[in-house]
Amino acid sequence: MIKDRLEVVFRQSFEIGKFTEDLSIDNVPGWDSMAHVGLILALQKEFAVSIPPADAIELTSVKNIIQYLDTRDVSSG
Amino acid sequence: MKQLHEIICDVRKLSSWLAYRKAAGQIRELLKSGAAKLQTSVKAAFLSSFTIDPLVDFAVVEAAAHSIELQPYIAPYGQFNQELLNPESELYRASPQITFLLIEAESGAIDEQASRLGGLVDAFLKNSTGILVINTFPACPSWPLNVLPDQRRILIEELNTGIIERYQSNPRIQILDLDALVSYAGCQNAMSPQMMSMARIPFSETFLAMLARRVISHIIATLGLARKCLVLDCDNTLWGGIIGEDGLDGIQIGRDSPGREYLEFQKTILELYEQGVILAINSKNNHDDVMQVLNEHPQMLLREKHFASIVVNWDLKPQNMQKIAEQINIGLDTVVFIDDNPAERQMMRQSLPQVETLEMPADPSLFARTLRETGCFARAYLTEEDKNRGQIYAAQRQRDQFQQSCATLEDFLKSLEMVVSIHPAGKDDIKRVAQLTQRTNQFNLTTRRYTEADITAMAQNKDWRIYVLGLKDKFGDNGTVGLALVEIQPKKWRLDTFLVSCRVIGRQVEDALVDRICRDAAKAGCMTISAEYIPTAKNNLVAGFWDKMGFEKGTADAKQVRYSRQLKNYQSPQFLYLKII
Repeated sequence: MIKDRLEVVFRQSFEIGKFTEDLSIDNVPGWDSMAHVGLILALQKEFAVSIPPADAIELTSVKNIIQYLDTRDVSSG
Repeated sequence: MKQLHEIICDVRKLSSWLAYRKAAGQIRELLKSGAAKLQTSVKAAFLSSFTIDPLVDFAVVEAAAHSIELQPYIAPYGQFNQELLNPESELYRASPQITFLLIEAESGAIDEQASRLGGLVDAFLKNSTGILVINTFPACPSWPLNVLPDQRRILIEELNTGIIERYQSNPRIQILDLDALVSYAGCQNAMSPQMMSMARIPFSETFLAMLARRVISHIIATLGLARKCLVLDCDNTLWGGIIGEDGLDGIQIGRDSPGREYLEFQKTILELYEQGVILAINSKNNHDDVMQVLNEHPQMLLREKHFASIVVNWDLKPQNMQKIAEQINIGLDTVVFIDDNPAERQMMRQSLPQVETLEMPADPSLFARTLRETGCFARAYLTEEDKNRGQIYAAQRQRDQFQQSCATLEDFLKSLEMVVSIHPAGKDDIKRVAQLTQRTNQFNLTTRRYTEADITAMAQNKDWRIYVLGLKDKFGDNGTVGLALVEIQPKKWRLDTFLVSCRVIGRQVEDALVDRICRDAAKAGCMTISAEYIPTAKNNLVAGFWDKMGFEKGTADAKQVRYSRQLKNYQSPQFLYLKII
């Protein structure tokens, strides 16, 4: 499941409570523009995809990330 | 809440910058709440032509692994020129002990770049008293368009050679050889075009983790925090297999596999020994079995003569560790412990947290690399003493055996045939003097730490005199074993620092040094010598030293006890066991 694997990435990267699709750059402590770069790197590593900068800018919430990864067809990993 | 050690171990498995950033935050919390305590803290500044924050996150964690609290000052992005050139800048106001200037090569002629760097370095040397670390430039080649040599690479190498030649002997400047480190990691792995475009960081996450370890090595070397002694387990650490079960012919060590990985590991250990790291064995085994391997196994590189202490029995390892520290006469916080068994490591960490217990990989072919990359033995320079320390400690073992064969202490001291030399520090002594002030903890009256730059300045200042004490005996040359830093005023001399290496304690050489200073002072017309005792956790040994030397106790407070001695009609004591030259 993408969501489970995404939760692992988020727990490694941020101090979060419950993992929901509502988590976003606006409500996760420490998820700032700098950390966003780190998050993109972590996503690339975990899901073995390369995320171009133009896409990276859009991935500012868990919901967006899940939708995006669905379109990139990484579910088999 | 996770323990410090757990946080570090977990995050190292990930080598993700965000995970390090989170871990750095957790470590800060642990320290702030008092739930964790580290042995040292250091103020370090980071100036850079690229985004440096991620490197600092990695460095905070790696520092904590060595029990160092890193207090970083990070210059605003792109401000390194102004910060260095302006004497009033935040950088200089933060008065960091060590400043990292990590910059990229720019386009332009070699001479221009070298002179630009020269200007920055000169400004720093003028405006700060700390240490500056500069980098060489990675000569990362691009894929060649033609079939010609890469001209850019040749130019960068020229620039690097120039930097090394110009600065390597300046005691206030250290060179972080970024070019070599990038080669070590491989350009493709080290550099990250994606990081560069997203965050203005030239390096990959894995490389940032490596670079952070080099940063910590510079900090360890600068502050004189290098550990002194490496204590090793035997079975499955120095060799493969279990000597008690597999026997001399069954254990794995040698040029053929399996066994080669242990030989490589021993090579690295021997390299450390040759630069002055003291070796010891702490093993659960039959003593004779281990001695047989050390003395008889044809493939062993490490032999009995390399070890200053060999403790092999069935007792608990923390208990044996204390015995080893006592035998060699060093503090537990200068010891590193290596054991392949995670349970033994855990026990050591819990019982003796001041010992640095290395986390070892399960695969022994990675042992050598793990040991090399720890950085806990890093020094900014090596002295003659360092290169000979192994033999010096071997001689010490002989001395101890000889002492046991003597009926009385007097017999022992008399038959040692000691020759003491006391002289003002010359140019060749500077490094060793700085090193002794940084490393000596027990017989050290004031425990003031000085860098090589400090000592150089003192040696050039006529208001200071540096006395150096050397000792030879029938077992060999002990090298420089003591010193005094004396501030000279016309009628009053002040003993700023007085210390003696712990390996010659109890041989009365310290009395000879005090006597020489008193005689010189009296001769120079000085009436009074003042001295202090500043208590620390480790120098209780010398609490009564000045009383014993005939100094009068003056005022005392929580921090220090002041002493003085009148020199009118000064008479030297007699030295029965020493020849003084």
